[in-house]
Amino acid sequence: MDDRTVTDQATRKRFGAKTALLGAAGCVLLLFPLVAPNAYQVHIINTAGIYILISLGLNIAMGFAGQYNLAMGPLWGVGAYTAALLNTRLGIPLWLNLPASMVAAGLVGGIVGLPSMKVRSHYLAIVTIGLGEVINIVLVNAQGLTGGPDGISRIRMPTLFGFPLDSDKRYYYVILLAVVVGFLFARRILRHRVGRSFRAIRDDYQAAKAMGVNTAYYQILAFVVSAVYAGAAGALYAHLDTYISPDIFDFNSSLFILTMTLVGGMGSLVGSIVGALALPILQEYLRVIKNWQLVGYGVAIMVVVLFVPGGTMELVRRFRSSRLAGRLWARNPASGKVRVGETDVP
Amino acid sequence: MNSGIFIQTIIGGLGIGSLYALIALGYSMVYRSMGLVNFAQGSIYMVGTYFGIIWYAGIVVGLRVPYPVALLIGILLNAMLGVVLERIFRPLAKLDLMFMLLGTIGLGFVLNNLFVIIFGAEGFAVKSPLPDTPIIVLGIRVLPQMLLLIGGAAALMTALQIFLKRGKLGVAMRASAMDHDIASAMGIPVNRMNALTLAIGSALAAAAGILAAPIVYVNPAMGSAIGLKGFAAAILGGFGSIPGAIVGGLLFGVLEAVSSGYISSSYTRGIAFIIMVLVLMIKPTGIVGETTVEKV
Repeated sequence: MDDRTVTDQATRKRFGAKTALLGAAGCVLLLFPLVAPNAYQVHIINTAGIYILISLGLNIAMGFAGQYNLAMGPLWGVGAYTAALLNTRLGIPLWLNLPASMVAAGLVGGIVGLPSMKVRSHYLAIVTIGLGEVINIVLVNAQGLTGGPDGISRIRMPTLFGFPLDSDKRYYYVILLAVVVGFLFARRILRHRVGRSFRAIRDDYQAAKAMGVNTAYYQILAFVVSAVYAGAAGALYAHLDTYISPDIFDFNSSLFILTMTLVGGMGSLVGSIVGALALPILQEYLRVIKNWQLVGYGVAIMVVVLFVPGGTMELVRRFRSSRLAGRLWARNPASGKVRVGETDVP
Repeated sequence: MNSGIFIQTIIGGLGIGSLYALIALGYSMVYRSMGLVNFAQGSIYMVGTYFGIIWYAGIVVGLRVPYPVALLIGILLNAMLGVVLERIFRPLAKLDLMFMLLGTIGLGFVLNNLFVIIFGAEGFAVKSPLPDTPIIVLGIRVLPQMLLLIGGAAALMTALQIFLKRGKLGVAMRASAMDHDIASAMGIPVNRMNALTLAIGSALAAAAGILAAPIVYVNPAMGSAIGLKGFAAAILGGFGSIPGAIVGGLLFGVLEAVSSGYISSSYTRGIAFIIMVLVLMIKPTGIVGETTVEKV
């Protein structure tokens, strides 16, 4: 990437500020459960953390590889059920269930992704919706295995070397670690050949194919990666809530995940974090106005789509390139320039 | 298996299939004319049902009108809603599929929750204007309302075909769907044609909802499952194709009824979706296979 040499100077100048910011953010994140007024607020953040993982997965598939995966909710369910069954039937702890859930969801995700070799655009959208529905129907109806509509209860929270992680405040660190690892992993693969192939397929399928990108392989890989994220989120969710039922993992949950990812910003990993934090928190605090809250939520989606289609991250970019931001920080014009149009480089 | 029961299953499937077909028509017509995939169609169907049924069931200030009048009121009100929606959809149609998806879903969300606020989340059953006892011919039992649904849907679809093929307005609509620029150069008001398309699509959805209301249960969440199946039906037949929407809808209904009758009733929805996926894998343009206009 040639642009990097251009930004080198500016990057070095801003390096100190960046480290300081990261350090401060790290401290806030580590101390949050200790200063949070009550456990319920930690619970909301934990749930948001789980959504961040799923949203990162969806963003990789949709925002970076351009593959419509509208089965994220049910795939999340595959992860949750794998962990719940292993835990309640065989007594296996979270630490082993987590990889198992990721593998299970990844496999199912690969199957959901198979049609991407043949169909695109809204056809792919409805095919993944359909296959997601099938997964959900199996969860509801395979009563002997999944417990049917009643779901599975009494999943045990994990212990770490004999220390029980049995409260939201303690579990918080598990989720924090998972989100950090998930974020860094996503950034890693998106800067790798895999990520470049993803973007090539998204931007121009035919051209990517002509350039020798193995499109079928990378399309399915995009589905598998997104499903692995959903699977990890599922295992974490099952062990946090200790009760799961199929109605949590239906098409509506796929939509909720899609919405938070779009509101945050498709094609921006930070956007996923912003969206996945903002929506569940908003939903929690606006619960008092009940249905009006949901109406407002719908209106907000439409406003975002019509006026800021890039989501929150586009707002940030607009602000950055605005005169006001220039006057506030008087930044190096070179560093400002490179940012524009390079929006999807994580 | 008893052939009487088989025919009964097929008729039931055609009934629910007519409902899917009318909704699928809304999807396909709007896609054809605006290039917009309207995921709010399920909610529009729900709203249309309420627009008609509330007068028939006497929910608004106890006012009761006969069923045919309620049907007409519902169709007219929903057509007006369609015209209003055109204004909202106009900017959406220029965006990527992802944003269309989200924008129309957002709209559906608004409609669903407004109706929960106005009429409450719990629904109600609607009494059929026809006798509740099934008609028995040659050992085949059919509900009169089911026949009304099939007949009404068939009449509406025939009327639509005649309107599109013969009427001057219908020809203008098809021209505008084919090429926006040339149509407007020919003096056809494209936006007004789009509004008309949305009005017709919404009117058909309202008719479907009011005709099916005595068979299904009416509540503000009724649109989401039916909307999804209508979309699947439109894709199955060939997205953007009008005969495709009809064939796809009827086929989807029959597939569902047969699989629930003969394979497993609990896996019904799943089997119908799997068949749809398989059809798409083999023939992505859908069964009718008309090449649709790709909007840029």
